[in-house]
Amino acid sequence: MPRGLLRRTTLMALAALGVLSLAACATPQSSFSPASDVADNINTIYVLVVTAATIIGFLVLMAMAYLIIRFRARPGGKARQIHGSNKLEIAWTVLPIGILLIITIPVMFFVNATSQAAGSDAVKVDAIGHQWWFEFRYPGLGPDGKDLVTANELVLPIGRQAGITLTSVDVIHSFWVPALAGKTDMVPGRTNHLSPFTPNELGTFYGQCAEYCGVAHAKMRFRVKVVSLGEFEKWVAAQNTAAADPDAGSAAARGWALFQTQGCSGCHTINGVSAGTFGPNLTLFGERSTVAAGILESTQENVAKWIHDVQSVKPLPAQGSMPSYKDTLTEAQALDLAAYLKSLTVN
Amino acid sequence: MAANIGILRRPVATTGIWSWVTTVDHKRIGILYGVSALFFFVLGGLEALLMRAQLAQPDQTIVSADTYNSLFTMHGTTMIFLVVMPAGAAFFNYMIPLLIGARDVAFPRLNALSYWLYIFGAILINFSFFMDAFPKQTWVGYAPLTSHAFSATSGVDYWVLGLQVLGLGTLIAGFNFVITILNMRAPGMTLMRMPIFVWMTLIISFLVIFAFPPLTVALTMLMLDRFFDTNFFVDIKSGSDPLLWQHLFWIFGHPEVYILILPAMGMVSDILPTFSRKPLFGYATVVFAGASIAFLGWGVWAHHMFTSGMGGWANAAFSGATMTIAVPTGVKIFNWLGTLYGGQLRFSTPMLFALGFVSMFMLGGLSGVMHAAVPVDGQQHDTYFVVAHFHYVLFGGSIFGLTAGIYYWFPKFSGRMLNEKLGKVHFWLMLIGFNLTFMPMHIVGALGMPRRIYTYSPDQNWGALNSLISFGALVLAFSILLFIINLVRSSRSGEKAPMNPWGASTLEWTIPSPPPHYNFAVVPTVSSQHPLWDEEANVILPPALPAHEEPEMPAPSYWPVVLAASISMLAGGLLIYSAMSWAGIAVMAAFGALGLRAIYGWIFEPPYAQGAGHHHV
Repeated sequence: MPRGLLRRTTLMALAALGVLSLAACATPQSSFSPASDVADNINTIYVLVVTAATIIGFLVLMAMAYLIIRFRARPGGKARQIHGSNKLEIAWTVLPIGILLIITIPVMFFVNATSQAAGSDAVKVDAIGHQWWFEFRYPGLGPDGKDLVTANELVLPIGRQAGITLTSVDVIHSFWVPALAGKTDMVPGRTNHLSPFTPNELGTFYGQCAEYCGVAHAKMRFRVKVVSLGEFEKWVAAQNTAAADPDAGSAAARGWALFQTQGCSGCHTINGVSAGTFGPNLTLFGERSTVAAGILESTQENVAKWIHDVQSVKPLPAQGSMPSYKDTLTEAQALDLAAYLKSLTVN
Repeated sequence: MAANIGILRRPVATTGIWSWVTTVDHKRIGILYGVSALFFFVLGGLEALLMRAQLAQPDQTIVSADTYNSLFTMHGTTMIFLVVMPAGAAFFNYMIPLLIGARDVAFPRLNALSYWLYIFGAILINFSFFMDAFPKQTWVGYAPLTSHAFSATSGVDYWVLGLQVLGLGTLIAGFNFVITILNMRAPGMTLMRMPIFVWMTLIISFLVIFAFPPLTVALTMLMLDRFFDTNFFVDIKSGSDPLLWQHLFWIFGHPEVYILILPAMGMVSDILPTFSRKPLFGYATVVFAGASIAFLGWGVWAHHMFTSGMGGWANAAFSGATMTIAVPTGVKIFNWLGTLYGGQLRFSTPMLFALGFVSMFMLGGLSGVMHAAVPVDGQQHDTYFVVAHFHYVLFGGSIFGLTAGIYYWFPKFSGRMLNEKLGKVHFWLMLIGFNLTFMPMHIVGALGMPRRIYTYSPDQNWGALNSLISFGALVLAFSILLFIINLVRSSRSGEKAPMNPWGASTLEWTIPSPPPHYNFAVVPTVSSQHPLWDEEANVILPPALPAHEEPEMPAPSYWPVVLAASISMLAGGLLIYSAMSWAGIAVMAAFGALGLRAIYGWIFEPPYAQGAGHHHV
């Protein structure tokens, strides 16, 4: 019996994992679709641990079911007055120690491997948590050797190690892209290091703040775009080029004027246009797939909606964050602004 | 003379509301704890249902973000501090003296003080709702989110002070039960003859004594930050450290997990033998395993902080330490299964819940081992996977175990049986509802859903699983409704309970149901672990004593409730102080004076109504 049972439970565990990985395809933030070396390693240990736990859990439940059926009270039955068994009790102390060692050893190797500093040729990024958005700074890649600054969409080249440091300007946040690495907290006053990882798949990956950080915590998301090295270099170059003036008379041109007169430029930087630093840097905003920190798809309508009525998208406090432009801008003006922001692309 | 010193005459009521307010009888205090815990269980459950309504579909706006954040903060705070801990205390109070053959706890008035501090602390925390300041900083209150800059309303203040007040009550109860268990056992009841529930209570009481001080320290620092602008957790540039809070909180918080689960483990260790008709398998091993869990529980707090950036060495050490706890936990589970072996199992409702406990708690333990593995925790931490895990431990474990205890001992509490048929429906619905609610949470967490989010977007594709979870929560809530109906109906018109309805082996079943206020007319003598199974002398119901021969019991007192109210109003005064400083100082001074008066009233008041006739000079 035990052998057949073991095979069946293993099959069941694998089937359960299969269902999970099927579900993972449709769920972009799943921890079961690894796209980096580190995530691959995590996944291996994850599957090992889940399989072991499923088998043990299933066997114990089966044993329990057997005992319940076998020893149910029968008329005239007498319970055997057993007080214990030294041999058995030692066995079920020692056996779990063995199983735990099987799990612990790869864990220790993993912890050691991921505690190493990033290589000297790694793409370095300083990720900074803000209530409720992510700032990404690439030291030395900006104009004149300064930082290249972007927000809410991290761009990384495939096949190059990424060394990401983490900190926060306000409360504790947590940086988590399940497809690329486990989460690490962004703690104010500290510089944490995400385990250095090398993306091995092209694509856009979902990330989200995983440490409760105040009212809009649920709406603090981001994306990581893994691109080819060539595309990455093109993006870096464009990021360092001053944005061109939009064609006179276009919607974008009207939006450009509004950007400068309605206070946007006081908080947001666009290279060559403005230098505000309170809010997210908007250089090459047109390249980003989302607006409002990973919340809305970046269509012109959604960008206008965000500008016109932030409260309908994110529960921001009245003070100290993006104001609502409901009373100052018409919907048409918000659309113009959106048109301008959407025009900020690589070409 | 001494008896009448004070502004209050010694209470004499034996029925009615004042008899409950002034009672020092451990059984009545136990019932007060139990009923209060049940009330807050319903409250915390309603908070959970509102959350499940909001999350049933993506992008819903049934409650606002602020409200949702308050709901999960208060659900956690309520269930841990106002439900599971006091529910455990209800059993400690009611059962421990009965199980060890004593007439009361060591310090009956301190016991009353513990209860009133709990209830006033609970009121203080929840009172914030009426001041439009419901806490919303999570039940773990991580710095610096709790500082004025990020939590402007006084919700954190109510939470800090309420926890301090009820924490004091818990600490006092810890001492009370250590002393009761060590000193007041019936003749012949050596430590290794105690029922396992008594053992676990002893262990928990030690845990409380050592675990609450770090919480008190953390809360005091936060209180100083909030009210007097100190800088323990506020401004990092001038030397505060947000991780200091996490370390202090979890040095309390992890042993707290064992404070929440060990009562259930104890009850189940006594219930399984009763319904298997044989002794617990490996009694001594189960005792040692419980003590090991409690001891190892002190060395694992930082596994709550694997993602905080402590570094590889700390992560490796705490990961290894956490794995070791699985060993004594596994030993307990196997010993419970061993207890079934060779038995004559009867599946009365308490047994069903005890078996539910063993299976569901085991699943919670297995998922716990998963996030003891650092890389796996990196994916699971702060997601619904963890929410699933600790509900398997705290609901599948603690609540199933406590429910088993209620079905088991209700006849002793009330003199009536709970309805078995309704009880069985309750069990199966609760088991199904529980698994429908919390099993899918593992999956949705693994699919990337973080905890503490008030909504999620449709593009995440978490909607279907969340609908299932919310449906499960409804089933679970319905099962609890059946339970409450059963409790209310059976306490009025349930079948009369005999002295020992389950054929159990321990001392509480040697006295009438419900017990007389003095418990044991004759203090029993024991010579084994199973006085009713092994010793003929204990099976005979002792004759009822005529009133004039009843043992004299400690008399009721106003001072515990007055002192508890004074301590709570010191906290209340501090809350007023932050809005109107002089009014606050006046309130604190007045209640400080009253509290001092209460302490002296307490000192001068003899514990018994008719004192031994000592005269003061």
